[in-house]
Amino acid sequence: MSKLVLEKLKLAYEGAILETHSNHGDDTAVVKPESWKEIAQYLRSDPQLDFDMPTDLCAVDYPGRTPRMEVVMHLYSTTRKHRIRVKTRVGDEDLDGCEVESVTSIWPGMDWLEREVFDMNGVTFKGHPDLRRILMYPEFEGHPLRKDYPCQKTQPLVEYRTEEEAGRPLAKLPPFGHDEGLAFGRKHWPTATPGNGEEN
Amino acid sequence: MPTFTYDGKTIPFEPGETIIHAAWRAGVEIPHYCWHPGLSSPANCRMCLIEIMPKPGTRGLALDILEWDESIKDYKPVQKPKLQPACYIGAAEGMDVRGDTSNHVKEARKGVQEFLLLNHPVDCPICDQSGECKLQDYWLEHGQYQKRMRDEPVHKPKAVVFGPTIVYDAERCVMCTRCIRFMEEVAKDPVLDMRERGNLNEIIVAPGRQLEGHYTFMTEHVCPVGALTTKDFRFKARVWFLRTANSICQGCATGCNAHLDFDPRYNKAYRYRPRDNMQVNKFWMCDEGMLTYKAAHDVRIVEARVGVASRKATTVAQAIDEAKKLLASVPKDSIAIVLHARYSLEDNWAMRQLATLLGTKQIYWSGLPDGYHDDILIHRDKNSNTAGVKMLAPDAKPFSALLDDVRAARVSHVIALGGSTPGEPETDAQVMQSAQLVSISAHEGALTKGANVLLPATSWAEHSGTYVNAKGMRQLSDKALEPQGSSLPAWQHVAALARALGLEVTWTKLKQIRQEMALDAVDGAADHASHAVSPTVGGI
Amino acid sequence: MEPLDQELEEGELVLPADSMHLNLGPSHPAMHGTVRIVLELSGETIVKADVQIGYLHRGFEKMCERGTWAQVFPYVDRLNYVSPMLNNVGYALAVEKMCGLVVPDRCQWYRMALGELARISDHLTCDGAMAMELGAFTPFLWFIKAREMVWDILEEETGARLTHSFGRIGGMAKPPTAAFKDLIRGTIPKIIDLVEEGEKMLLKNRIFLDRLENVGTISGKDAVALGWTGPCLRASGVAYDVRRSHPYLKYDEVEFDVPVGTRGDTLDRFLVRLAEIRQSQRILAQICDMMPDDGPVNCDDPRVMLPEKHDVYTTIEATIQHFKLIMEGAKIPAGEVYSYTEGGNGELGYYLVSDGTGTPYRVRIRPPCFQITGGLSKLITGRMLSDIVPTFGSLNMIGGECDH
Repeated sequence: MSKLVLEKLKLAYEGAILETHSNHGDDTAVVKPESWKEIAQYLRSDPQLDFDMPTDLCAVDYPGRTPRMEVVMHLYSTTRKHRIRVKTRVGDEDLDGCEVESVTSIWPGMDWLEREVFDMNGVTFKGHPDLRRILMYPEFEGHPLRKDYPCQKTQPLVEYRTEEEAGRPLAKLPPFGHDEGLAFGRKHWPTATPGNGEEN
Repeated sequence: MPTFTYDGKTIPFEPGETIIHAAWRAGVEIPHYCWHPGLSSPANCRMCLIEIMPKPGTRGLALDILEWDESIKDYKPVQKPKLQPACYIGAAEGMDVRGDTSNHVKEARKGVQEFLLLNHPVDCPICDQSGECKLQDYWLEHGQYQKRMRDEPVHKPKAVVFGPTIVYDAERCVMCTRCIRFMEEVAKDPVLDMRERGNLNEIIVAPGRQLEGHYTFMTEHVCPVGALTTKDFRFKARVWFLRTANSICQGCATGCNAHLDFDPRYNKAYRYRPRDNMQVNKFWMCDEGMLTYKAAHDVRIVEARVGVASRKATTVAQAIDEAKKLLASVPKDSIAIVLHARYSLEDNWAMRQLATLLGTKQIYWSGLPDGYHDDILIHRDKNSNTAGVKMLAPDAKPFSALLDDVRAARVSHVIALGGSTPGEPETDAQVMQSAQLVSISAHEGALTKGANVLLPATSWAEHSGTYVNAKGMRQLSDKALEPQGSSLPAWQHVAALARALGLEVTWTKLKQIRQEMALDAVDGAADHASHAVSPTVGGI
Repeated sequence: MEPLDQELEEGELVLPADSMHLNLGPSHPAMHGTVRIVLELSGETIVKADVQIGYLHRGFEKMCERGTWAQVFPYVDRLNYVSPMLNNVGYALAVEKMCGLVVPDRCQWYRMALGELARISDHLTCDGAMAMELGAFTPFLWFIKAREMVWDILEEETGARLTHSFGRIGGMAKPPTAAFKDLIRGTIPKIIDLVEEGEKMLLKNRIFLDRLENVGTISGKDAVALGWTGPCLRASGVAYDVRRSHPYLKYDEVEFDVPVGTRGDTLDRFLVRLAEIRQSQRILAQICDMMPDDGPVNCDDPRVMLPEKHDVYTTIEATIQHFKLIMEGAKIPAGEVYSYTEGGNGELGYYLVSDGTGTPYRVRIRPPCFQITGGLSKLITGRMLSDIVPTFGSLNMIGGECDH
């Protein structure tokens, strides 16, 4: 049943589909960013596909790949009971040009999801009516779910208390101890181009 | 090139090459303990056993065995192919080799793994190798069984001191003999051997000798398990907390490729490991080189200082201000620029650029004096970038000329990169005191002792830099640590100093320096890929 | 302000033409969860509402990228902290889908049973708190008393009342206790009694009904387009329940109904949750009959399952296995997967990306109430200020889940 969704999509937008797969039974289509909205509109309006529910929208950062940011949309049809994952890849290695068209006009539920992806990964959605941060505060700098955002970094709105202010030694100082906030599972993130001098 | 297939994958080989070596070059790992691409093959660990399918129409070597059959509840005679060690069998055209796809091979690997772990102590929690141990990796990949033996394991000597650097644990040893072969074949000092047989097998040092010389650390590096440990790294860090950066050894002009392992939580370097590069160091490094990681922390300058006697700590900005006052009204020709052979091409390029901008012809270079050398890796020249400095500034005069010029008062002011000098530190420092000295350095040395202004530079471990080795190969060393204290890359200090002196500096990024360096057609050296040339399969 | 008793002739009273701005929250006694609503009011009518979330954002997805796959379990506990077991099971199923693992039957039943208990606790909390915010304190206490009974069972099973961290990749932390079925059989009727008593108090109360009926109405079509799932969507008449539409675990072997509403108003959402408690009761009764009493709970794949502690201390093989799983983490095959289950609030999805190492490359959670809360401003715009409380209460926004 759901295999047919991909077949139909491939037939309709042959040139705009970069790749497809159905690993673990999840039908996935990677589309060109410029066709993002058009394909979304097609998936919503075609009566046989009828993807009426915007299940999820998120982005995954792949430093070292170009385009670097992958925007992932999950859709569901309550009438046909099938799903699809649509992905597109945007942004160069410095994440310039990291933008796609907003699909809020197709599914109103995408409103908050697009704001969240903008907030967390810094993807700009062209045509979104009210694109501002949703989970982080407006003063926050950067986008936390990008891989180059250090996981130990803190941006407190109110400065942390120092030992002088407390008048006594504090057990934990920001960012709260050496052993906290560090993975030991992963050796290190792949950097885009090692030794290109950007680190200085 | 002739080819054979391994698990259906076509692998090319040179005539005379073993199967495991050809597979390793193609990036396919056949599990092994005793084989090492840089050493001979003893074929004693039996982990690399593979099944070579007989040619169509011929009978392969087979053994008659009895196999338990669950359905008839009895043993029945079956034939089992004779497996062969991949590290000893030469590859032949069209050979059909089976590894992961052969049940016999899988069974054999599991059996070998069980034997090797039969008497192994429960040491992982206190073993320095855990996290990068072949026994652990292969148990998960090829073993996945639980212990069947319920007897007390054989106990053997633990923490045997082999020499000033190495400690041996016989219980953890899998008798691969890599250390024995390394000492014999590479270090040319056959000081290790094994004694006894079977369960009582252990590695020993030749009577009356101890494990010493210039290549003892390598025995630990080739050890696939935790049997050999270095006193330097023993119980210092757990490897899974360490991150690694591709670095270049700063010990001598050979420029061995190395992994610099560091703990980002404490911003501390813990060890050097060789990084394979067939054109430079193959798989090896010397003891002195492997200990140079300590220079990232020892005798470091991490604060700006002003004043010869007072050496008052100050900010970098104030120190630059001080240097400006010192140099502003001096005739340009009496300012000497000293390059340094232990600093990167980028840093020295910036200094050379400063000389051009100032318009001075007084360019000198400094570095460590020559020292011990051998035919294996250790070079006479103890500076990592002598060739680079000579390439950048062929007209640079040696350091002795600077001492003469200072004595003769032909030079009154000196801007120097680096601290060390070829001569005696005390006497060199004394001579330099008669000149006004601005020093940009990561480490203390003769040139920093008498400095009027001292600017803290980052060591090679804290910034990315290019080094040209004795063979003229440009090699890139990556950043590992964060800059310590208020230190900055030397080229940034040079740029700030030049700007303070009213000179026009166009470069503000390392990228720009590299682009401009590439434009300067002065280098006759060919660019070499800096990172591993040969394939590395999951740590040999 | 002029004194209230001032006598004004009709026609003299001039109300200000400007709309008033009101800041509701982030900490407000009549809102469960820290959420801030910036309102533009014309009189008491809401002209514009801006719902602002994020006060409970803890960087859950970023944290998951630092540890091993197994270390995510305690974090998912803290998403929807009213039904953590559903999150646990959902995450375990997602990772297992990636590995191609199927846990033994007994574990599947066990997961279902614990999940349904968690669902009862979730619905009781939502309905109880909503009644309390409307002033009905007694039903709240009764519902919480019932929830306490559920938590007693969960505590007996897992050792923790709230954040169990009980799921494991390839199984559960412990097999069911010997008294598990008896506990369920003995407790569930008591819970239902309490629910019925609370129901009687509320559903015959004119004030309560008036404040709920035809308030916060949304059509099924709109709800779907907003990405609503769970009881809120079903109250609008769309019978989408993951357990029924895309059965997982053993949900295709049990009988239950999917209750749906007709008007899509706040009362329907209240009633759907009550009806679902009874369906969970039905499911639990069937699980008690069908769950085997012995047999393995965990799968025996040494690449994901921890060995016995005793063996870890005495044999090198188990030590290695333990070391590899704890220090490097279970290596999950590279790829991406979207796995979804029916959480307390609706479709709880996990989109996982693995690069083949022991650390997740990306853990994306699709919290059901994120989109539901996203629809709140649509529900309350044009309504009265006092309608916010029941409407918001019926959406069951859980800060931990909504704010990641």
